[in-house]
Amino acid sequence: MTSERSDHMLGDTGATVLRDNAEVAEALGRSYSAGFVTEIESTGLPPGLSEETVRQISAIKREPEWMTEWRLKAFRHWLTMPQPDWAKLKMAPQDYQAISYYSAPKVAPKSLDEVDPALLETYEKLGVPLHERAALAGVAVDAVFDSVSVGTTFRKQLADAGVLFCSMSEAIREYPELVQKYLGSVVPPGDNFFAALNSAVFSDGSFVFIPKGVRCPMELSTYFRINAQNTGQFERTLIVAEEGAHVSYLEGCTAPRRDENQLHAAVVELVALEKAQIKYSTVQNWYPGDENGVGGVYNLVTKRGDCRGADSKISWTQVETGSAITWKYPSVILRGDRSVGEFHSVALTHHFQQADTGTKMIHIGRDTKSKIVSKGISAGRSNNSYRGLVKVEKGAEGARNYTQCDSLLIGKRCGAHTFPYMEVKNPSAIVEHEATTSKISDDQLFYCRSRGIGEEDAVSMIVDGFCKQVFRELPMEFAVEAKKLLEVSLEGAVG
Amino acid sequence: MLKIENLHARVEGKEILKGLSLTVNPGEVHAIMGPNGAGKSTLGNVLSGRDGYEVTAGSVTYNGVDLLALEPEARAAAGVFLAFQYPVEIPGVNNTYFLRTAFNAQRKARGETELDSMQFLKLVREKLKVMQISDELMHRAVNEGFSGGEKKRNEIFQMAVLEPKLAILDETDSGLDIDALKQVSEGVNALRSPERSFLVVTHYQRLLDYIVPDFVHVLADGRIVESGDKTLAHKLEEHGYAWLAQHGEPAGAQA
Amino acid sequence: MSESAVPFVASTLAVPPPSSGIGWLDEARRENLAAFGEAGLPDTRVEAWKYTALRALSQRSFIHGDAQAATRDIDPEAFALPGLDGPRLVFVNGVFRGDLSDLSALPAGLALRPLSQALAQDAEPLRFALARRYKERGDAFAQLNAAQAVDGVVLRVAADAKIDVPVRLVFVGVAADAELAWHLRNVIELGEGAELTLVEQHVGSGNARQLGTLVADVVLRDGARLQHIVAQDASADATLVHRHALQLGARAQALLHVLELGGALVRHDLQADLVGNGARLDTRGVFVPRGRQHIDTQLAIRHQALNTTSDSTWRGVADGRARGVFRGAILVAPGADGSDARLNNKNLLLSGSAEIDTKPELEIYADEVQAAHGATVGQLDERALFYLRSRGIPLAEARTLLTAAFCRAVLDDLPNATLREHLASLLAIRLPV
Repeated sequence: MTSERSDHMLGDTGATVLRDNAEVAEALGRSYSAGFVTEIESTGLPPGLSEETVRQISAIKREPEWMTEWRLKAFRHWLTMPQPDWAKLKMAPQDYQAISYYSAPKVAPKSLDEVDPALLETYEKLGVPLHERAALAGVAVDAVFDSVSVGTTFRKQLADAGVLFCSMSEAIREYPELVQKYLGSVVPPGDNFFAALNSAVFSDGSFVFIPKGVRCPMELSTYFRINAQNTGQFERTLIVAEEGAHVSYLEGCTAPRRDENQLHAAVVELVALEKAQIKYSTVQNWYPGDENGVGGVYNLVTKRGDCRGADSKISWTQVETGSAITWKYPSVILRGDRSVGEFHSVALTHHFQQADTGTKMIHIGRDTKSKIVSKGISAGRSNNSYRGLVKVEKGAEGARNYTQCDSLLIGKRCGAHTFPYMEVKNPSAIVEHEATTSKISDDQLFYCRSRGIGEEDAVSMIVDGFCKQVFRELPMEFAVEAKKLLEVSLEGAVG
Repeated sequence: MLKIENLHARVEGKEILKGLSLTVNPGEVHAIMGPNGAGKSTLGNVLSGRDGYEVTAGSVTYNGVDLLALEPEARAAAGVFLAFQYPVEIPGVNNTYFLRTAFNAQRKARGETELDSMQFLKLVREKLKVMQISDELMHRAVNEGFSGGEKKRNEIFQMAVLEPKLAILDETDSGLDIDALKQVSEGVNALRSPERSFLVVTHYQRLLDYIVPDFVHVLADGRIVESGDKTLAHKLEEHGYAWLAQHGEPAGAQA
Repeated sequence: MSESAVPFVASTLAVPPPSSGIGWLDEARRENLAAFGEAGLPDTRVEAWKYTALRALSQRSFIHGDAQAATRDIDPEAFALPGLDGPRLVFVNGVFRGDLSDLSALPAGLALRPLSQALAQDAEPLRFALARRYKERGDAFAQLNAAQAVDGVVLRVAADAKIDVPVRLVFVGVAADAELAWHLRNVIELGEGAELTLVEQHVGSGNARQLGTLVADVVLRDGARLQHIVAQDASADATLVHRHALQLGARAQALLHVLELGGALVRHDLQADLVGNGARLDTRGVFVPRGRQHIDTQLAIRHQALNTTSDSTWRGVADGRARGVFRGAILVAPGADGSDARLNNKNLLLSGSAEIDTKPELEIYADEVQAAHGATVGQLDERALFYLRSRGIPLAEARTLLTAAFCRAVLDDLPNATLREHLASLLAIRLPV
């Protein structure tokens, strides 16, 4: 498998060269440690969105005609859709003509060995070494920088096992029949406003295919990084696990500090065939904006899994600490009999962050099970909502759901909200929801302090305990990172 | 070591301590007895720095420093330990992890080297043996799902690990059956040393059969009204707190 | 299609709002009707109506009011509550019936009369309540009610008066020649420290294909105590949209028991604002839709003061092709420290064609708060069923028994034993077997 990149073809289509004052950014970036800007020459499309933009993206990526058409169809549909108006989110209106829909490092690597050292350094700083020698033990990484994948590690080992793990651009060229079969089959291009936009302009993302009976020999992971200014990131991820296949996939996200809001509108589709299992973990740490609510990423994401086969299982785990606005509901369609859907979430908001996240569990098959554990932590002037739907269709004999939503408030000016929807049409179903809201108790805090633990440490310890049920679901390396992220994100929340 | 002078303290605007004085020297065990509402628990909470307890007059000097000026964690680092009457549950926080964090935070504050998890585990195992606590307790979350007796034993176990200089036991006997009471008392007695002082706050004399005090003080209406040796506890047991009322003027509160 | 072409809206707008001769009232009626005409009936995209579609209703036309209501023959047995004598106001198809009512011997401190009389005598005290403009997208029926209601109940309890007999408000629906619509407006106020037990009954006879709307403002001044029972057993063909807006002052306490049993399409909005420190609200309710019934309860409790408490227990049982909808929203406003809010909604789904949609909500903006909610949809406890059968009780009977027990739990803390027994037997009759 060669990794031919087409970015050099850009030539004169766009020529935005960005050089940022990294020192200034560093100085500003006190608690958001991923807030640095990489000084790298980028190239991309100028801001603006039209059919021509869509064609250009498709051309840059040397896509086949069917893909171009697919995008155009999505784009035309998007034009007919109104931008959604959410009850609980305050969001500045987006100017979709002011965004650049494609940005890439100017010098395109042919393989990992050719990756620009500045880029490698970026990922080292983020704790994601891309050199296979130094790589995270047993984790294969695909790194997406702005609009393109800059490298995928452990390709050979994976290929030996029959696992396909590459960038989406590459998959469209190399495995068109698989992509055509599954792309948009879980999240149709017209599903919602942002999914339609993504379908039209998505630039890259990861593609994973685990053939029948294969257990993926290592954790797969993608690191997303927005670097360039005025750039939206529209990645598209597709994971297909054939009959009896197992895979665990992790994604991490960071972006530099910038004063304007950046848009991230991703689409993730998971397909699990009979007896297949997909575990999808996210640690989302996009730039959240500063303590006055200036800047930050708008993270508007459609994630959905389809338990298409009997006895399949899809499990979402997410730790959301970043973004100015998070809007995502990783969902599972429980189509196959006895299929299982899980959602484990920690969402922490501070300062002026807004998170509206949750899940949808759609029970269609018989004896399907779903479990939802959501932990929300609000601090500063932030607002944190759980919004979830558990739907049991008429034929979903014996369906079971258990939902637990707990919210923790830190401070007097934040909000914690719970909006669960339960729609049940089958009399043999059992659906249960429980939710609590409270603050860190003075008794707990005093107990820790009277044993010699300082207030900030005591708070992180109690918050960590509050989130334990979810952290347990994360792979070890991520659990450690998630815990640190919470600590950093809570800085200054107390007192 | 500890010198409380004319301590006045209010809770929710109501004066509870009304001029309490007490001196504790290294190695001494002082029992504070008194009827409900006398201010026994308030004393423990004031000494350990709980919010909501307002000191309106008086002073507390601990090894020459103004104890009341210190944050709760600083008091802990200085060697003050409160065994709670009602230890709180902290879901999801592992008991061992909690204790190691506390242990190292205290050591760090004192400028001592911290123990890594292996060294700490070794220490915990030794102490567990002495305290007759099953290590299963250490894998659970702090106090979560513990029985009343387990919670109290866990408090004494924490004390054994943290090795404070001044331990305040706040009604440690409440809610314990006789076996648990014996176990807890043995734990405490094992920790008695010439450097370590104890303030044992209790309503009943029963505990003092097992933890034999050097001094007994009677706290009533926010002041120490009577002080004596361990025989005072027996007198109280015999006559009840009402006996004190007829017993004349509040005594000078010097131990 | 423009809104005025919708039969329901057209038939409503065809009748000009009644004139009262009171300037501010007529203006409020006109504006509310105009607001209704502009927006029409909400569709399911309006969050408050997500689970209650009004398509079928929108295609029906209604005649405003029943000209023969005053002379219709009504059997008082239909609403009798043996053992609970006291003042009562009776309305038939939305029209006050003095002959069926009992306003003799009102206890001291209780003022009770029809709204029409109160307006004729002195409208000014009602201005605050009746001059309101309803503006929310989901408020169509409140707008309609505000525009069209010419009667209702005005009830006032003087400060510190403790009324020791229950006061009853009875709403009877009977079949008429045409489909008719009626609207009633109740204004209820308990002075400081006042106490009252209020029983609202909806009863129906025959196939009364009618639309009734009822809007009630219930104000509890500081320290007032209210026990409020709503026993809704309207005609099987009726559409009923009722709304209670409670406001609780400092240390005021309200205990509500709601039975939603009758009607074809029933919507109940129950809103409570806890505006005084230390106010306490307890709500208990059960909805039992069977056949093709659709019963939608929207409970919204807003904690807006210090140390306020709310506790809500609701049960639902859906059978046949029925649909039960419940929303239980709790809001704790910024600064409402010391709030304690609990809500629980358990549901039984008895048929493969029935549906339950439930949505508990917490919206919390203060941190010194204890808030919790829970909701379940499921079946009877298999172990309990087995236990009963192992003692010789046949399956069907065991089910009925357990279903009844499941619903009756909401009546447990109703202090008045006579009322409790009456409601329990009403419930037993209406439960699916």
